[in-house]
Amino acid sequence: MTQGRLFLSETGRIAFAAAVALVVALVIIFFASKTPLETFDVLLTAPLSSKRTIGTWIDDSAKLALAGLAFSLVFQARQFALGVQGQVYIGGLLASAIALSPLGHSWIAIPIGAAVAMLGGAFLGFIPGYAKAKLNANEIVSSLMLNYIAYDFTNLFLRLYLASPKSGLTASDPFPPTAVYPAFLPRTRIDLGIVLALASVFVVWFLLYRTAWGLKLRLTGHNARFAAYAGIRSNFIMVSAMTVSGAIGGLLGALFVQGTGFAKIAIGFEAGLSFEGILIAIVARNRPLAIPFVALGYGYLRQGAQLMGYRSDVPAEVIGIVQGVVILLVASSFTVPGRAFLTRLTGGRPAAERATTP
Amino acid sequence: MTPYLQAIGIDKTYPGGVHANQGVDLVVQPSEVHAIVGENGAGKSTLMKILFGVEQPNAGEIRLEGKPITLHSPRAAIAAGIGMVFQHFSLVPSFTVAENVVLGVEPRNGLTLDRKRAAETVHALAERFRLPVDVETPVERLPVGQQQRVEILKALYRDARLLILDEPTAVLAPQEVVELFAAIRSLTEQGRTILFIAHKLPEVIEISDTISVMRAGKMVGRVAQKDATEAGLARMMVGRDVTLKVTRAAPGPRDHLCRISNLTVKNDRGVDAVAGIDLVLRTGEIVGIAAVEGNGQSELFDALGGLRPIESGSVEIGKVDITDASVGERRDAGLANIPEDRIATGSAGGASVAENIVATELGDTRFVRHGLLDSKAIRKHATELIAKFSVRVSGPDSAIGTLSGGNMQKVVVARELSSEPRVLLVSHPTRGVDLGATEFIWQRLAVARDAGAAVLLTSADLSELLSLADRMIVLYRGRVVAAFADTTELTPEVLGSYMLGFAEQSAEERKAALA
Repeated sequence: MTQGRLFLSETGRIAFAAAVALVVALVIIFFASKTPLETFDVLLTAPLSSKRTIGTWIDDSAKLALAGLAFSLVFQARQFALGVQGQVYIGGLLASAIALSPLGHSWIAIPIGAAVAMLGGAFLGFIPGYAKAKLNANEIVSSLMLNYIAYDFTNLFLRLYLASPKSGLTASDPFPPTAVYPAFLPRTRIDLGIVLALASVFVVWFLLYRTAWGLKLRLTGHNARFAAYAGIRSNFIMVSAMTVSGAIGGLLGALFVQGTGFAKIAIGFEAGLSFEGILIAIVARNRPLAIPFVALGYGYLRQGAQLMGYRSDVPAEVIGIVQGVVILLVASSFTVPGRAFLTRLTGGRPAAERATTP
Repeated sequence: MTPYLQAIGIDKTYPGGVHANQGVDLVVQPSEVHAIVGENGAGKSTLMKILFGVEQPNAGEIRLEGKPITLHSPRAAIAAGIGMVFQHFSLVPSFTVAENVVLGVEPRNGLTLDRKRAAETVHALAERFRLPVDVETPVERLPVGQQQRVEILKALYRDARLLILDEPTAVLAPQEVVELFAAIRSLTEQGRTILFIAHKLPEVIEISDTISVMRAGKMVGRVAQKDATEAGLARMMVGRDVTLKVTRAAPGPRDHLCRISNLTVKNDRGVDAVAGIDLVLRTGEIVGIAAVEGNGQSELFDALGGLRPIESGSVEIGKVDITDASVGERRDAGLANIPEDRIATGSAGGASVAENIVATELGDTRFVRHGLLDSKAIRKHATELIAKFSVRVSGPDSAIGTLSGGNMQKVVVARELSSEPRVLLVSHPTRGVDLGATEFIWQRLAVARDAGAAVLLTSADLSELLSLADRMIVLYRGRVVAAFADTTELTPEVLGSYMLGFAEQSAEERKAALA
C-alpha cells in the first residue's frame, strides 16, 4: 500500500471511530440530560464559543501533543514505559524551583526552567530503561511505580519548600511574570508552549526519520531480533529512547507550570492529562507528524466535554466513554462494518452459497 | 468412473485484492495419489484451504462423489470425509499420541475419557494403515516424522476418505520420507484418496498417480505419472526452462579462512546443543551441514552469527578471534549471515525495503554521516540491489512485509552479499522460495563462493546441499558424525543414515575430511 493510500485509509478509520464515539456520546446524553439537544450542542460547539475557550483548547492540545509525543517515542521502540506522568511532575517541580529562585526575575528562567525540567524528566525516563537493560526489570511496572514516587516527592517538596501559606499548602505563590511564558494573544492561554510543542514534534520527527539513531530505534521496534541480528545495540537504543522520551515528559512539566494557564505549581497540576497521551500516540500510530492533528481533534472533544460539564446537566465524565470507544475502534483493526450486509441487500449472496448453486 | 472430488471453476480473490485462484478446475479420482505442484504463490494453498472449508471461494463448485457440497467450515469438510494435515502441526505436546488423536471426539466412560479404549482404537488404526507409533508416548517426545503420523491418524480417526497433505516431506529426513510413502501407499490400497501438495519434483513423480500443475492462480496442466518428467513439470510451474545446476568450485588448494575449534554451544534449555565442533572453512568453497532439524545446526549458526553465546571453544576469521565479538564486530570482520527465518530474524516487516537493506551498514559513511541518514544514497543503493537481484517490488520504500517469500528472501540475500563477505553463513536459503528465485539464489551463492567467500550452508533440503556443497559434514545430536571431502558421489540415502544416527564414521575418517 502506498503512503498516500495508507494515509487516507487511516484518516478514514479515525474519522469513523470519532463519529461512532460521538453517536455513543449522543445516546448517553439523550438519556442523561433533560435538554439533550442543547447539551449536545454545547459538547460540539462550546470550545469555539469565545476567544478564551479557543485558547484553552489550543493550549490543551499542545500539552496533549507533547504527552503523545513522549509515548510515541517509546512505543516506536516497542517499550511500554508509562512514566510520562512522573516525568511531568518532576519536570514541573524543577521548573518551579527555577522560577521561584532569584533566576525567576530574569527571562533566563524560561530556557533554564525548560532545560532543567528536561534533564529531570530524562533522568526519570532513564531509570526504567537502565533497570530493564541491566536487571531485566519490567519497564511497565518500574515506570508506573516511579510515577507514584515522583508524584509524592513533588507534593512533599512543594509543601516543604515552595507552598504559599495563603494557598493552604496546595500551591506556590504565582511566578514572577518574567518566568511565565509570554502569551501571543492577551487573556488566552496561547503562549510560548505552543511553539515548544510544535518544535518538539519537528525534533522528534527529525530524530526518528532522519538520523541513524532513529532508524535503529524504529528497526528495534519493528523486530528486536532483526535489530540484534543486524548488529544494532538494542539495549542502548532502548535506554536512550526512554531517556529522550523522559526529556519530553519533563518539558511538558515546565509547560504546565510556566504556562499562562497556571504560572505556579499546584498539587496534582497535570490532572491525569499525561496518560491521555497514550490515546494520542495510539490514534496517531506513533507518527510524530500526525500527533498535532490528533491532539487538536481530541483536545476539541475533551474541551467540549469539560464545558458541557460546567454549562449543562451532564457531567464531563462522558469524555471518558468517548475516549474508550475511540481507543477500542482505532486500536482494534476494524474495517468499516456492514460490507457483507450490504452485498446481501444488493442481491449478492455469500460466497459459500454461490459455490454450490451457480 | 465418477471422480471422488471435483472442483469446477474455483475463483478466489482475497480482500487485499490478490486473485489467488482463477477458474481452477481439479479432478481427483478415488484411491489415487494426486499431487498439486506449483511455485509459492501459485495458489495451491488457497485451493486446499477452500477444499478443507477454511476459505470460501468467490465462485465455483465443489462436488464430492458427483454431488455438490458446501464446505462452510473445516467441521463441514471433516463431516464430509475430508481431512487435512497442515505443515505446522496442531498437537498438544504434553498429551499422549492417543489423547491427541481422540481429542474432541473422545470415547467416554461416563464423564471421563476412556483411556484404554482410546489407546486400543488408535493402536488398531495405526496398525491398519501402517503408521506405527507408540500411542502412550507424549507427543513432545516424538520426532517430527512421527508427529506427522499422529496428525494423519487424527484425520483417519475422524474417518477421512480424502486426505490433504500440505508439503508433508518438507520437514522429513529421507528415511522418514520412505516410511511416509509406504503409509500413503497402504492408505490408497485401502480405498483412501490422497491430495499431496509439494514442490520437490522427484518425490512427486515417485509417489503420485496424477500431477496437477498450478501457476499464478491458474491450473496450467495435468500429467499422468508415466508422462511426467522433472524438467517438464518445472517448465510448466515456472513458465520457462529452469536449470537447477550450479557449477562447482574449481578444484585446487585453498587458504584456510575461518577456524572453528572445539566449539560448544548451549540451547535455550541450557543443554549442549553442539559440543566439541572442529571445522575449518576455506576460501572459495561451500561447506554443507546436513542434519535433521533440532540436531544443533540452528544453535551453531546462531552462535557463529553472534546471536547466542559461545560456551567454550573459539572461532577465528583470518587472524581475528571473534569468539566473544558483538554482531557488529563480526560483521566488520567480514561475516555475513543469511538466517533460517527471513521474517523472524532476517527482516523488519514494517520497515521499508531500503531501511532493511541499510540496517547492517549503519556504520558506513556512504549512508550515515555525523549520525544523519543520507536518504538519497540509501534509496539509490536499495534500488540498485533491487534491480541486480530482480526483486519484484514497486520501489525501495515499500514495506518489506508486503513482499512474497521469494522476493523477501532475495532482499535478505542481496543485503548480505552486498557487503562482499569473507565468511557467509547460510541457513535454509530457499525454504518456501519458488523455483525461479531458488535458481537465482543458488547462482548468487556460487558467485560469492567464486569471489573467494567461505560459505557455511545448512538446509533441510538435501538436494540443495548436494547441489551446492563442495564438502559436507553431518551433525547428529550436536556432534559431527560424518564428514565428506568430496560430495560428487554422495547420495541422500547415505547422508540420511548418518543424519538419523544409524551410522557413524570413525574419527580418522572424519578428521581427514574436516582438515
